[in-house]
Amino acid sequence: MSNMKIEDRLSLLNYKIDKSYAHITVKPDICEICPDHFCTFACPAKCYTLIDAKLNFKYEDCVECGTCIVACSHGSVSWTNSKGAHGVKYKYG
Amino acid sequence: MSEFDAIVVGGGPAGTSAAMRLAANKLNVLLVEKADPPGSKNVSGGVLWGNSLAGVMPDWEKTAPLERFVKSKGVGFLTKDSSIDINFRSSKFSETKTGYTVLRTKFDQFLNKKAKDSGATVVTGVTVDKLAFEGNKVIGVEQDGDVITSDSVILAEGANPRVAIDSGIRPPLKDQDVAIGVKEVIKLPEKTINDRFNLREKEGFAGEYVLGFLEGGVEAGGFLYTNKDSISLGAVISMKHLRENNKTYSFDIIEQFKNHPSIAPLLEDGKVDEYSAHMVQEGGLASIPKLYGNGYMIAGDAAGFSFSNGLILQGMNYAIASGIAAADTIVEAKAGSGISEQSLSKYEEKLMNSFVLKDMHTFKGIGDITWGSLVHQKMPNVLEKVMLGLLMEDGEPKKHMNQIVKEALKSSGLKSSKLLLEGYRMYRRM
Repeated sequence: MSNMKIEDRLSLLNYKIDKSYAHITVKPDICEICPDHFCTFACPAKCYTLIDAKLNFKYEDCVECGTCIVACSHGSVSWTNSKGAHGVKYKYG
Repeated sequence: MSEFDAIVVGGGPAGTSAAMRLAANKLNVLLVEKADPPGSKNVSGGVLWGNSLAGVMPDWEKTAPLERFVKSKGVGFLTKDSSIDINFRSSKFSETKTGYTVLRTKFDQFLNKKAKDSGATVVTGVTVDKLAFEGNKVIGVEQDGDVITSDSVILAEGANPRVAIDSGIRPPLKDQDVAIGVKEVIKLPEKTINDRFNLREKEGFAGEYVLGFLEGGVEAGGFLYTNKDSISLGAVISMKHLRENNKTYSFDIIEQFKNHPSIAPLLEDGKVDEYSAHMVQEGGLASIPKLYGNGYMIAGDAAGFSFSNGLILQGMNYAIASGIAAADTIVEAKAGSGISEQSLSKYEEKLMNSFVLKDMHTFKGIGDITWGSLVHQKMPNVLEKVMLGLLMEDGEPKKHMNQIVKEALKSSGLKSSKLLLEGYRMYRRM
């Protein structure tokens, strides 16, 4: 099988996106001076990316796996459960 | 007077089993699940091992949506070019089923329906924020500022136990507690799966692999399970080692696994139909928090109940057994002295007398062995060199096996005395 880009794999998923509530937030002042940005390697949904050496976070693709709250050892990530059945909806799980 | 006898947070195997058991005992139970439909946020490999579910549903093997029963169990070491596998298949597994592959969204929906049918109030699409306390006593749960009152609460919220952490009853998770699980469901015709894995109808294969080809010290296990007309394939990645590496993407590892020369032919012409990820509880006994308090208990993945020794990866059976034990504890407390920290301490006793905590104690520290360069790099490479040494006919005179092994050990930088010691430790802990 050919390698599938993560973006293509994520596009297979169904989400009910919560436009009014971000269940995960990051503190930009902490991310700005972060020495490792391990979140960008750990997050399986590529929600954390570096754009011009600046951390960019988008919660919309999040699959609610919980990895980033452990991965970030600098206290930047605040993690709450999605609300009102928003977020990822797997068909197989 | 509380609104409920018990609230169960989380509609996975632990929570639904607890709810079924409580409802069967005529208690007024509320099961709250954040996903709608239930199961649509749950991820597992997954193989359901054992027969724990019979405790709440004697006929589950006939009624539950199961994919295939495990007829064939594989374990393998993968290097860049080779695979060294043991495959065990037995007609004994056809007589007494030891494991079934399941797809959790379907399976958990079934469990939630069963909980509802047995009399529990099942609410989906509702997210519990915290436990509600009066002093040190749990009096229910908080949801969007409202308190739903209950005499007791079972937290069965899964591998990312936000409610327990945010309520201050368990510490936040650390690298050593978890691994990153990444999975794909790959569609293939049922007949193709049967042919490729040498299976008949309803028979399944479950394989675990050491991904010994990963570079830069990254350590991960792979799994490949057959469903009826799809394959569940994934990687369980050590958080600690991925952090130390800090240049490999978690989502790339599964692609490397898929493209391994001994795995790729099994997946040929398959279509990836779903990608998923979830943290996996991996910490063993050291990760288990205090399991009960005044008015609450923690069950399943939220309590860190899982088992992995490299040959097998289990969680759902521990979830179900712990959910049932928590429910029984409430039933007995209600019939006796009432809900208190003292009466709920029986939960831990029950688990100590069952495989749930017995296994955690028996295999204490096994993670030190299953995660480490011996298993993940040195052993696969030594085994590959030994097998190539035995099998590659290059026209040269043959060597004795001890010579081949000696040379393989030498090139891996592993002293035979160290191998013996480490091998002995591994043998003892497994």
